[in-house]
Amino acid sequence: MTAVVGTALRARLDAFTFHGENTPALCDVAVSVLPGSLTAVLGGSGSGKSTLGKLLAGWLRAGHAGQLRGSLELGATRLNFRGLPEDPRINPAEWSRRVAFVPQDAAAMLSTVRATVAEELAFGLENRAVPREDMFRAVERTAARTGLTGLLDRDPATLSGGELRRLAVACAVIAEPDILILDEPLASLDAAGAEQIRDLVRSLCGAGSSAGTGNPAGTATGVVLLSQAADTLAREAAHWTVLDGGTVTAAGAPAQLIGSAELERAGVLGAAAVRGHGPVPAIALRPAVYPPPSSGPAPLELRGVGFSYGLDRRRWGAPRYRGHRLREQAVRRVLQNLDLTVRPGEIIAVTGPNGAGKSTLLRHINGLLRPSEGDVRVCGRSIAGVPVGTVAASVGLLFQHPRDQLFERTVLREAAFGLRQHFGKAEAEYRARAALAAVGFTTADEAVHPAELSASQQRLLALATVLAREPAVLALDEPTVGLDRRGLERLDRAVSAAAARGTAVVLVTHDLAYARATAHRVLELDGGTLRDV
Amino acid sequence: MTNDAVTARLHPLTALTAAACTAVITTAAASWPLSIAVALAAAVLAVRSGAARQVLAAAAVILVPLWLSLLVLHGLFFPEGHTVLAQWGPARVTAEGLGFALEVGTRTTACVLVLLLFSFTVSVPDLLAALAARNIPPQFGFVVASTLTLLPAVARRLDRIRQAQETRGMVVRGGLLARLGALRLQMVPLVLALMDDASSRAQALEARGFASPGPRSSYRDVADPPLQRRLRVAALVLTAAAVTARIVASWPAGGTA
Repeated sequence: MTAVVGTALRARLDAFTFHGENTPALCDVAVSVLPGSLTAVLGGSGSGKSTLGKLLAGWLRAGHAGQLRGSLELGATRLNFRGLPEDPRINPAEWSRRVAFVPQDAAAMLSTVRATVAEELAFGLENRAVPREDMFRAVERTAARTGLTGLLDRDPATLSGGELRRLAVACAVIAEPDILILDEPLASLDAAGAEQIRDLVRSLCGAGSSAGTGNPAGTATGVVLLSQAADTLAREAAHWTVLDGGTVTAAGAPAQLIGSAELERAGVLGAAAVRGHGPVPAIALRPAVYPPPSSGPAPLELRGVGFSYGLDRRRWGAPRYRGHRLREQAVRRVLQNLDLTVRPGEIIAVTGPNGAGKSTLLRHINGLLRPSEGDVRVCGRSIAGVPVGTVAASVGLLFQHPRDQLFERTVLREAAFGLRQHFGKAEAEYRARAALAAVGFTTADEAVHPAELSASQQRLLALATVLAREPAVLALDEPTVGLDRRGLERLDRAVSAAAARGTAVVLVTHDLAYARATAHRVLELDGGTLRDV
Repeated sequence: MTNDAVTARLHPLTALTAAACTAVITTAAASWPLSIAVALAAAVLAVRSGAARQVLAAAAVILVPLWLSLLVLHGLFFPEGHTVLAQWGPARVTAEGLGFALEVGTRTTACVLVLLLFSFTVSVPDLLAALAARNIPPQFGFVVASTLTLLPAVARRLDRIRQAQETRGMVVRGGLLARLGALRLQMVPLVLALMDDASSRAQALEARGFASPGPRSSYRDVADPPLQRRLRVAALVLTAAAVTARIVASWPAGGTA
């Protein structure tokens, strides 16, 4: 076993306040990261994890983004901040070389002006004038470590969610930082994708001690995991810091903190139970407690539905990085002779790996995508030729990415959009407020801009916009992703209330445990058709 | 390691030089038959490169309002027009006015088509690598690349916003007015979303050293065959000659006018 060398990061943040805000976003936070160790910062959505991660990595800079009082210590360098103009300035490029950060939205890490995965990886090296031959070697080595070797010539815009996440991590790792901060690295990954990230984190931490997997410099990286779930990866950490409302409420070894009241209060998932991979739902495994579906005409029927990308290029999903490349791609069959009937009050969960076509299936339910064969029937009528906006009266679709769903200026306007022409102003606002209340928003939140909400709240707001219409069919795309424990409870209540009203619910999730706990039936999308699991 | 396929293609700077020189020469020549020939050639090349739809759609957005304004302005109100073809009150359709509109219109059409053809067919990464290799600041290259990819990015974003709105009950009907009405609802979200994207991207770019001063290296190698270099020089010389000829030719006319 070789000796572990590396640099430690110590941060003591007395207060960090964003410009234009009165209350600090972070207060009394101390973090210490040792080389070769895995440290987890756990907290619910909006607890300040991302702010902390960005501050540690120089993505948010004292003086530039807000006022910081405290100190950052990296190896022998110590920076003291007193919230004054003469405070030291961090050079983000230099600092990030040593303390790298991978944001929750992996796509935000990419330059968007590089044509291949290899070039995207090399982007940071190019900016440091690394000689070409060295870049080739570094790209090859990093790709091998992150499982990207087979994807080096791919256009980054065509990667799946899991591949994109690995690329984002690889872009950070290629600079061989001393510290790597990962913000929710497992969110929305399927089991295989999550395992790859976990393996990568293990190899980074253990670089100095385990032969073969380590980086050639022999230095071990200190990894900081920012997560709202005390999942398998978090449980491998040597040290936990619990963040709640922007301050540290508990810190110590996982064994001491598991099941603690602080962890519970922070809204961390899996605070008590030991569970499998990925995001852990708050609802313990249990048979479906929802009332059994009633008989009666099925609100949703799919008959012999088939769909291929490449046939209908005008619509969503077909990669369109440079128009002419599409022609070179073979037509890809996603759905094939697919049948599905959902009865009133029935909850169907559809699972399957990333890229199986789950979102594609949901987009057929409200007509955003049209089948090339077969028919989609909502409330007994075919929706062929019916505009999406009209189908929307009966079908509510929750998008996979809440940011794709939210476009209004305030929370209330968002929930009320489109209701007015159906119900009139007063009724629209009443319904919007009721839907907002059902997912936990208060009247104080109504004037907030949706972009300022935490990831968990954004998803709940998107859910409220769907619920406000009380549709006969509810289609939910990965509704659990990004939700903390409180968010999951609200989702669960909303779904059960809708089912109790007789709404047919189809939810797509990569989390089989959640699917089993929630749905009357669990189906797997495989080879373009659905089969019982 | 490098893309062999790239070497077979036109170097981006050759394409840029060709497009710019064609636009300048067409302007200098000021001859509508030449302008029409250039415009047709650009259209044919656009079809052959598979970018016809994008080029023509973008060209229509620019050129339709331009042609309309040219026809109204010069077709109806051309002060130096003598040959009156029709008259309604102060508005006179004159042959000279129509001729002038035709002249300016075809010239602009040719330039717009040639430049759009370049922007929709150039490989943006190649162009960036070529600029970086000539020590052009990478920030400039990024602005060029972002501009060239802005239209598709805006179109993608608009598509997502429209889908979100349709999903919430907005019915978009086929008519032009209805589409414009829908577009009005999408503008504020579009601008906000693009700004949000830009600010989060800026942090990542800074962290990856993009804003740092100092030398750069390039992973992508764009082959620049000697023949293409000579071609570029020749095109530039030819363009300079055309501009000089134009100035010389119009000098006495300008003096006597």
